[in-house]
Amino acid sequence: MAVKTILPFGPQHPVLPEPIQLRITLEDENIGQVLPALGYVHRGIEKAGENNDYPLNVFLVERICGICSATHGLAYCLAVERLLGIEPPPRANYLRVVWAELHRLHSHLLWWGLLADAFGFESLFMQIWRVREMVMDVLEKTAGNRVIISVNAIGGVRRDLSEEQISEMLHTLEECEKQLYALLPVMLNDYTVKKRTAGKGVLTSEQALRLGVVGPTLRASGVAQDLRMTGYAAYGELGFEPIVEQGGDCYARAVVRARECFQTIELVRRALQQLPDGDILTKPRGNPNGKAIVRVEAPRGELMYFVVGNGTKNLERMRVRTPTLANVPALLEMLPGAEFADIPVITLSIDPCISCTER
Amino acid sequence: MPKMLPTVLGNLVSKPATRPHPYRRREAFARARGRIIFDVKQCVFCGACALRCPASAIRVDRNERELVFEPFRCIICGVCVETCRRGCAQMIPHYHSPAYTKPEEYYRAPVEVKEENQL
Ligand code: SF4
Ligand code: SF4
Repeated sequence: MAVKTILPFGPQHPVLPEPIQLRITLEDENIGQVLPALGYVHRGIEKAGENNDYPLNVFLVERICGICSATHGLAYCLAVERLLGIEPPPRANYLRVVWAELHRLHSHLLWWGLLADAFGFESLFMQIWRVREMVMDVLEKTAGNRVIISVNAIGGVRRDLSEEQISEMLHTLEECEKQLYALLPVMLNDYTVKKRTAGKGVLTSEQALRLGVVGPTLRASGVAQDLRMTGYAAYGELGFEPIVEQGGDCYARAVVRARECFQTIELVRRALQQLPDGDILTKPRGNPNGKAIVRVEAPRGELMYFVVGNGTKNLERMRVRTPTLANVPALLEMLPGAEFADIPVITLSIDPCISCTER
Repeated sequence: MPKMLPTVLGNLVSKPATRPHPYRRREAFARARGRIIFDVKQCVFCGACALRCPASAIRVDRNERELVFEPFRCIICGVCVETCRRGCAQMIPHYHSPAYTKPEEYYRAPVEVKEENQL
């Protein structure tokens, strides 16, 4: 007879440095039921957003996520701009794309490193993070900070790129791409990587659609859905095509993210080459009034901002729906039936960001 | 594994990618957001920066002609630099060094200005 054990995975766990608890019922080595417990890092950011003046909220929402802060700032700014009825200048739109994509690049590289770390491939982890460090340096050189770059403002961006910075950025991206190409055969074809990811945590496209999965997790299940296709900011002019894989397992999710790294580099390159001249900021006037919903593609998937203004400088309501929250139900369907040793890899495969989830 | 060999050999002879941080520091990037300093000679204590600071890290007392800045509250967003029309709030690329306490920084108007006012 199988022995039943209930195992708490997290909130502090060496593999997953994020405070989520999964209560896992094990039958011998196989996973039965999985129950998540959320709420360890709730900070009340949505409520705090109602007390701040609306332009200052940009700095608040950037602190929701410790990795894709530029995307949060962008989504909030787009929502408030819609309420105010202002249009950012074209150059600002392109710069927003540049910084949002650099954030996606470093986020995916971070995830790849963590994945390699999760199954004990330490040297791959370090190689990838060394490449990531170049992206971080570019962010710091151009935006001033590594992660929370605060470049978005209502009506545009706060920093401009000079010619030298653009050429330096292009140069670094080229170097980055070269080093990533050198690592790619190991990332995609290595025996260890395949052994630990292929066929694990399979999510079919029907399941994915039923559970409302978003982002690379969805695209790895064969559904071509990426909000950049809607063409917000300057994405409409950059010829964006979503990346889709059919496998639905951890390996497919890893491949989607690896391919997206190269796509992101290409998008930044195109945006920098087509960068129009002109202003970078349209001064916002008045106070937001009405309701707006904005959806953008964060590195982990669809990020939604719902903003209600009431004609004062404070917002009536700010609601954020982050991608990981949408992906947790999928995790609960991927885990049952898998083996104990695969928990870290499967959990990581949705790229969980718990501080986003709980805000 | 053979595919990693060139990288492994390259790493054997190349410099380490990391630095022994406190002993050897990297030069700060010119546009890095290190910390905020106030050039108090320029300041008119209008309080515009304090009003717009998202972290409430600045307090301005117009009567006392005093500006109190809490560097450990500051998130180095740069709003005060953009707000200040006198060029008093400035951003420098060097980080604040770590500390055991979180002291406030007091900026007072230069004394001779004060005496002039009292006359
Ligand atoms: S630093 Fe500038 S904005 Fe702040 S009180 Fe002084 S003059 Fe006014
Ligand atoms: S940089 Fe930002 S947080 Fe710091 S004092 Fe200036 S406005 Fe306040």
